[in-house]
Amino acid sequence: MSYAIALRKRFGALQFQEYALALVVIALFVAGAILKPDTFPTWDNVRNMLTQASIVGVLAVGMTFVIATSGIDLSVGSMVAAAGVFAGTMAEPSGGTFIFIVAAIAFAALLGAVNATAITFGRVVPFIATLAMLSIARGLALIFNDKLPVGLLNLNGGSFGDPSPFSLLWFGTGKIIGIPVSVWIFLGIVIAGWVVLNRTRYGRHVVAVGGNREAARIAGVPVRRVIFSVYVLSGLLAGIATVLLCARLGSASPVSGELYELDAIGAVVIGGTSLAGGRATMVGTFLGVLTFALIFSLMTQLDLSTEIQQVTKGAIVLGAVLLQRPEVRY
Amino acid sequence: MNGAPTAGGKGATVLEVRGLVKTYPGVEALRGVDFNVREGEVHCLLGANGAGKSTLIKCVSGVVEPTAGEILVDGEPLPERDTAAALGRGIATIYQELDLVEELSVAQNIFLGHEPRRGPLLDLGRMRGEASALLTRLGHEKIDPRLPLAALRPAARQAVSIARALSYDARVLIMDEPSAILDAGEVETLFGVVRRLTAEGVGVVYISHRLDEIRRIGDRVTVLADGATAADGIAADTSTDELVRLMVGRKVDRLYPDRPTGVGEVLLEARDIKALPAVRGVSFEVRAGEVLGIGGLVGSGRSELLRAICGLDPRETGEVTLAGKRLPPNRPDRAIAAGLGLAPEDRKSQGLLLDWSLTKNVSLADLGRFTHGLLDVRGERAAVRDQLRSLNTVPDDPDRRAGELSGGNQQKVVLARWLLRECRVLLLDEPTRGVDIPSKAEIYRIVTELAERGLGVVLVSSELEELAGICTRVLVMREGELVADLDGAKTTERELLAYAVVPTAGPDLIEEVA
Repeated sequence: MSYAIALRKRFGALQFQEYALALVVIALFVAGAILKPDTFPTWDNVRNMLTQASIVGVLAVGMTFVIATSGIDLSVGSMVAAAGVFAGTMAEPSGGTFIFIVAAIAFAALLGAVNATAITFGRVVPFIATLAMLSIARGLALIFNDKLPVGLLNLNGGSFGDPSPFSLLWFGTGKIIGIPVSVWIFLGIVIAGWVVLNRTRYGRHVVAVGGNREAARIAGVPVRRVIFSVYVLSGLLAGIATVLLCARLGSASPVSGELYELDAIGAVVIGGTSLAGGRATMVGTFLGVLTFALIFSLMTQLDLSTEIQQVTKGAIVLGAVLLQRPEVRY
Repeated sequence: MNGAPTAGGKGATVLEVRGLVKTYPGVEALRGVDFNVREGEVHCLLGANGAGKSTLIKCVSGVVEPTAGEILVDGEPLPERDTAAALGRGIATIYQELDLVEELSVAQNIFLGHEPRRGPLLDLGRMRGEASALLTRLGHEKIDPRLPLAALRPAARQAVSIARALSYDARVLIMDEPSAILDAGEVETLFGVVRRLTAEGVGVVYISHRLDEIRRIGDRVTVLADGATAADGIAADTSTDELVRLMVGRKVDRLYPDRPTGVGEVLLEARDIKALPAVRGVSFEVRAGEVLGIGGLVGSGRSELLRAICGLDPRETGEVTLAGKRLPPNRPDRAIAAGLGLAPEDRKSQGLLLDWSLTKNVSLADLGRFTHGLLDVRGERAAVRDQLRSLNTVPDDPDRRAGELSGGNQQKVVLARWLLRECRVLLLDEPTRGVDIPSKAEIYRIVTELAERGLGVVLVSSELEELAGICTRVLVMREGELVADLDGAKTTERELLAYAVVPTAGPDLIEEVA
């Protein structure tokens, strides 16, 4: 047995992939530091990257749970837009940050529950159910305020540059010990996601349902309830992502969040969570989000166009999936 | 008809199999089988489950490659593992699960893979015409070749399947349990078709577990037991007793531990379970300390009965109580919470998550035990390791992936799950299928120990010998109903087989074989 195989046996294929991806993240960072030594390896840039990553990162945590059940949620980007405009129209006149946050999260979770109902009770395949929701939610976002964005600067509570704590804009631009609030929230959700996935019965059930639905059922896992829950969870996290996005922009736009679902899915997949289910890693998802953020930042600083960024992103997803193919076929 | 007719036979030998051997890793499926089919005869192939009938057919039809031996058609060897060659030489097979495409029309199904063409285009007119002619030849002229297959009843589908075989100019037609999906009237129609074919000189290989059918339609019988020919081409009117004796084959004895003694209170009660079409009103009870066997042929509804009891499949009627608690239908999670455990028929696709570690596989049904706020993964791993060790699982390393274990050890992992769960009634569906002899003996020992500890164990098996060997009580199922309730210590494999195969087990027959 070679050392590499022994290592894999010891740590399992999953951790192996996590280590590999960690190396990619480090390599990208080093590459950036070499190519742009003045601007790339700076605290400002790191903070920027993490802030950028936080919104898709929150979505990716929910997506990890969905994909772990061998499902998919294509609607998260549209849900962000719909929840933002909905919550904006609810909260803007009265200026209540609390109302905005509750409305955004509740509305996105409700849309997630619609997905969940269609999938578990209507037996619609997740791809189609959430594809329909992608369209429905985007439509709702445009209807709610006559295709116009909702300004949210009322919800500031201070000046734009220095928002008072717990005002809406504070969630987008405020800092705690030098680190943006949105990054704290993202990290908190990643850690909570890791704990739920790896250290609770629920998390184990989620992965079991994706790995072998029939075997999970025979072992007493309430399969339907588990599947229902992950789409609600995905919606709920889309609501949190909505808050972070709107807080940063100071407005809720009906055309925001486009293609966020693809970034989230891409990050989850390059992280090593299997689209076929049965294998999920929150650490991998986190590293996947960082990888995308680094690539984005690096290419922007190198003045490469967004088209090239898209091609690169796609190639990385494809490459990661090719690497994940199982070595043993049953 | 040419060639010298022999006793019970009709024409010249078309297909001849000599000394056929097929070994899979660890299993000898065929250990030297002789078999021949003549023109215009119905040659019945008989044998218990696992005797090697399916393997024989697969070799003859070119699906698998024999390890040794000869297959001759008209005295010429047939190329091995070449389905097209087998069809080309006129050997056609109709499988139990008809390999037809529901979305296509009858005519398209018949000519699937060898469609008549005019130039590059399908010649639909000719296809329909020839399909009609073939169906008429079978006496099924009422089937419209333009209908989609999905519109046909099982019997008509079977006719389409036979017509497809004939479209290859079949000279030998192998039918694998053709009557299993038919009701009594349809069986008559099938016999009509078989008689038409034999009158045209086609040799028919007829596989069935129903001895009465064999006597009615067959000319000769070949009996397989444990992968060898127990009787080669004897007359079809051989007595039932003799056929059953031939099917039983060799005996292995020291495999079984002593039966558990001391039967306690009723744990599981099933009343009038109906899960149509497989289970048609079954009632029974399981007591603590019992190893209750359920025997019967494949397809008699045993697995479906277990699944309906667990709530995995819906049931039309029926009530299940476990230790006085009613188990709601369609809620396997509730059944398991109440103390039921199931080791399913197919370990790989239903029992285990093959990519998961043994720890996670074993603890899946009982994660609550390790949840103190969060999952205590160390305690989980330690408890699983102890459980695996107590069952002598090899390896007992809880970090290994379930897919790396042998069949017998995978079964132990499934058992470990339910032992950890401390279930009260354990349902085992074919627990020794694909398991080697030493592991079998260990599983028997574990099952017996569990019963002695006061569990109720239900053991479904196609190996009648194992039911007679370890069970305290044996029920026999046939066509979705219970037909016998026997004392495990007194019953024999032959008695079980007689109940399993005979449509109306009259008292005289039971006397005859007991």
